[in-house]
Amino acid sequence: MSDLDDFKATYFDECSELMNELEEQFAAIEGGERDADRLNAVFRAIHSIKGGAGAFGFSGLVGFAHAYETLLDYVRDGRVEMTDDVVNLCIRANDIVADHINAAQSGEELDADYGQEEKQRFDAIARGQRGGDEDEWSGEIIEEFDIEFTPVRVELAVADDEVVEAPAAAEPDTFEAPPMPVEPGHWEVRFTPYRQLYSRANDPLLLFRELAALGEINVRAILTDIPPLSDFEPFGVYCSWEISLFAPDLTEATIREVFEFVDGDCSIEVVPLGHVVPPPVAAPALAPVAVAQPVEADENLMALTEDEVASAPVRLVAEAPAAPVAEEPVAEEPALSFADLANEISASAPPRPVPVAAPKPAAAPKPAASGEGGEEGGNRSAGVQSIRVDLDKVDRVVNMVSELVITQSMLTQQMDENLRARYTELVRGLEVLAQTTRGLQDSVMAIRAQPVKSVFSRMPRLVRELATKTGKKIKLETIGENTEIDKTVIEQLSDPLTHMIRNSADHGIEDPEKRKARGKSEIGTIRLSAEQAGGNILIIVEDDGNGINRERVLQLARDKGLVAPDITPTDEQIDQLIFAPGFSTADAVSDISGRGVGMDVVLSNIKKIGGSVHVRSWTGKGSRMTLRLPLTLAVLDVMLVKVGESPYVVPLSSIVETMQCSGAIFERVPSGGQVLQVRGEYVQVIDVAQRFGMHSNKAPDDRFVVLCESEGSQKVALVVDDIIGQQQVVIKSLEENFEQVEGIAGGTILGDGNVALIVDVQGLRVHQIHQNAA
Amino acid sequence: MEALSLREDNGDKTAVVGQNTLQLIAFSIGEQTYGVEITTVREIRAWNGATPLPNTRDFVRGVINLRGTIVPIFDLRARFGDGQTSPTKNHVVVVMSVGDKWVGILVDAVSDILTVSREDIHNVPEGNAIDTELLNGIITHDSRMVGLIDLHAVVNGAKLDG
Repeated sequence: MSDLDDFKATYFDECSELMNELEEQFAAIEGGERDADRLNAVFRAIHSIKGGAGAFGFSGLVGFAHAYETLLDYVRDGRVEMTDDVVNLCIRANDIVADHINAAQSGEELDADYGQEEKQRFDAIARGQRGGDEDEWSGEIIEEFDIEFTPVRVELAVADDEVVEAPAAAEPDTFEAPPMPVEPGHWEVRFTPYRQLYSRANDPLLLFRELAALGEINVRAILTDIPPLSDFEPFGVYCSWEISLFAPDLTEATIREVFEFVDGDCSIEVVPLGHVVPPPVAAPALAPVAVAQPVEADENLMALTEDEVASAPVRLVAEAPAAPVAEEPVAEEPALSFADLANEISASAPPRPVPVAAPKPAAAPKPAASGEGGEEGGNRSAGVQSIRVDLDKVDRVVNMVSELVITQSMLTQQMDENLRARYTELVRGLEVLAQTTRGLQDSVMAIRAQPVKSVFSRMPRLVRELATKTGKKIKLETIGENTEIDKTVIEQLSDPLTHMIRNSADHGIEDPEKRKARGKSEIGTIRLSAEQAGGNILIIVEDDGNGINRERVLQLARDKGLVAPDITPTDEQIDQLIFAPGFSTADAVSDISGRGVGMDVVLSNIKKIGGSVHVRSWTGKGSRMTLRLPLTLAVLDVMLVKVGESPYVVPLSSIVETMQCSGAIFERVPSGGQVLQVRGEYVQVIDVAQRFGMHSNKAPDDRFVVLCESEGSQKVALVVDDIIGQQQVVIKSLEENFEQVEGIAGGTILGDGNVALIVDVQGLRVHQIHQNAA
Repeated sequence: MEALSLREDNGDKTAVVGQNTLQLIAFSIGEQTYGVEITTVREIRAWNGATPLPNTRDFVRGVINLRGTIVPIFDLRARFGDGQTSPTKNHVVVVMSVGDKWVGILVDAVSDILTVSREDIHNVPEGNAIDTELLNGIITHDSRMVGLIDLHAVVNGAKLDG
C-alpha cells in the first residue's frame, strides 16, 4: 500500500467519524438546540471533509461540500435562518455527502448531476437571503465578499522592479487604508500565507469570513510582492493581507483562534491599533476586499432557544425568533403522559428502574463549556489520550482471550477432589489464573465497548421521516445513550431498532385527530432507552400509542394458521405473535412497514446475537418492546446440562434457580401439559428431551428442573436429565454453515472438542404456543 | 484414519484436466457408487460422532466441530430414504462447500477419484422424484453406474416443517 493509500484510508476513517458527528449534531439541532456551538461543529466537520477531498481530488465531493458549506456559513452568521426546511435540507445534504464519500472510497462514479438539486436549493436559499436584506451591509458587497474578490488589475507586464501601482479600479479614495483611530477593540491583523497553506486546501476567504463573524472588518490585499510576469511562478504565493478589525470585546486570543487551523502555515501578526504596524513595504498598495458587518448570530440563536424552551415539551416548530410559536396548541399538557404509562407498567411488572423522566427539556440554553461538544473538547484538552487501532487487531486479541478463558475453565474442570487435596499450590495458582483471565477479558471487552449513542443517533432522523410520511406527530426521546455495549452487538442493533421504531410509528402512534379524540396529546412519543441490568443490556422501545390490537392479531394469526381455532392464547401470547414470520397487521400495506418482514427480522437478528425480545402492550395506552442483549458476544456464561446423551448449554443470565425433580411439585393442566408450582407461582414446564425428540433414560425423579426467566416476567421450567456445571463458552453460529433451528440459539465448542447446543429459552416457549395450536 | 486434505494436493491434477472433463470423488453407500465434483470437496475425515440437532429431519445427523466452526452432517443414505446409517469408525464424512457454506455428508467409504468426460454424463431417467431431485446426472465408469450428487438438493429441506 502506498503512502497515498494510507492517507486515503485515514481520511475515510475520519470521514466516517465526521459523518457520525454530523448525525449527532443534527439530532441535537432537530431537537431544538440550534446554538452556535452546534453549527460550528457542523461547519467544521463539513470543512474537514471538504479539505481532505480537495487534497485527494474528489472533485464531486468538494463541489458539493463547498456549496453546503456556503449555506452553513450563512446560517452561522445569521443571514439565513435555521428553519426546519433548512434543517431538512442539511440532513439530506449529509446523506449526499455520505454518498459522495462512499463513492470516492469504492472508486465509483456518481452521476455528474447527483445532488445538483440540493446544491441549487442551497444557492436559492443563499441568494434569496442576500437580495432580501435591507440592512447596512448591502447585498452587493456581500456578494462580492462571498463569491469573488473585486477584480484588481495588477501591472505584470513591467519587467523591472517597479512597485506595483494601486489598482486602477474606480474611486481611489476608498482604497486607502481607513483612518486608524486609537480605540480599544481595534486590531490590525497582518496575514501572510505560506505556500503550504494553499497546498493543504485552506482558503483565506474562509478565514476572513470567520473574522467577519467576530466584528467589523476591513481587508486589504497587499500586492507589492507580486513579481513581474516573467518571474511569476504558478504555485508561488505573492499576496498577503492586512485586516483591520473592530469589535468591542475582542482579545488577541480570539483573533488568533480563527487562524488555529492554519497555524504554522502562515505568519500572523496581531497588533492592537495605535501600536503602529511597520508596513512591509514603503508604500503598500492597498485594495479593500470587502467590508462586512458583524452579525449577531449568537444572540439570534439564543433568542430562538429561549422561545423554544417556553414552548417545551413540544417538538419544535419554531421557525424564527419572532414567530409566535407559543400559540401552537401543542403546549397543552398531554392528558396521558409517560408518567401514567410508567405507573401502569410498574404496577404490572416487576420493579425496574424506569427513569420516568419528564420530557427532556428541549433546549436549555447551555453555557458554552457544557453540552456534548463542550465535554468532548474538554476531554481532549484534559489530555485523554487515544490511539486509533484497527478493529481486526482488537478482534484478534478478543478471540485469543476467549480461547484463554475457555482453556482456563477446562483446566479448572479437570481438578477433582483428589487433586485439590494433593496440590494446594496448583489450586491456588488456578484460582489466580481464573481471576486474571477474567480481568483480562473484561478489559478487552471494554476496548470494544461503545456507547449505544452511535445507533441511537440515527433514530431521530428516522422518526422525522416517518412522521412526515405518515402525517403523524411524533417525538422521540432517548435515554441512556451512553450505555456501552460490544461493538459487534451495536452493529447488529441498527436493523432491529429501525424495524421496532417503524412499527411503533406506523402501527402504534395514532393520527393526531384520533389522539386528540382520546384525550391524548396530539404528539405521540416514542421513547428509546438503554440500560444495563446485570450481564445484560436492555434496549427498550416504548410508545404511547394504541397498543397492539389483539383481536386483529389473533384473527390474522388464525387466518394464517399460526393459531388453531380452538385455542385461546393469553394476551401475552397474542402479543408475541407479532414476531412470527410473515405476520403483519397493518390495515394497508404501507410504504413504511406492513410487508410482514419487520418484526420477525427483529427476532432473528436479536437471537443471532444471543438476545431475546419481549413485547408488552396496554390497549389504548401504548406498548413496550424490550430487547435483552448480552453485554458481549465473545464469551457467554452458561450452565452445561445433559439432555438424552447430548450436552446442551443454557445461558446463565436467564437461569433463576435449579432444583431436583424429586423435590419439585408438578401439577397437571387440562391441555395435558404440566405446570410447576414454585413458591405459590405456577410455571409452564417444558421437557427438553421430549421437545427435542430425544430419549431420556433417567428415572423422572433423578432429573433436574432449570427454572428460567425469559424476557418479561414469565418463567419457564426446563426439565433436563443432568446438570454438569457452570462454564464460559464462545458462541458459534449455526447459520454460518446450516440454518436456524427451532429452539436452538446457537452452538458452542466444549473443552473436549465436541459441539454443545445453546438452548433458546424464549424460542421454546414460542414454539410451545405453535405446537398447542397445531 | 487421518483427515486427508484434498484442497491443495490435487490442485495440479485438476489443472491438467481439460475443459471437457470432470474429476469426481467417488464414494459408496451400500452397493451404490456416487460422486461429487472434486473441486467442491474440502476434506475427508473419519466419522467421530456428531452432536444431534433437534427439530430437524432424520437425515441431519447433527453438527461437528471443524477447527472452530460448526458444520452440519447429512446422512446421505437417510437422505435417499433408505433409513439412517449406523456409523462406525470406518464410515467417512466428506466435507464440501455448497455455496458459501461448508457441509459434511456421511457415506460408507470413499472409493476413488474418477476422471470423466462431460459428454458421458447422462440425464437421470424420469420416473422417481427422489432420483431426479437429488442427482444431477448419471455416469458410467468401468461399467459401474455413478450417480452425480446435486449437493444443493441434498442440503435443502433439512428443517422438520420445511
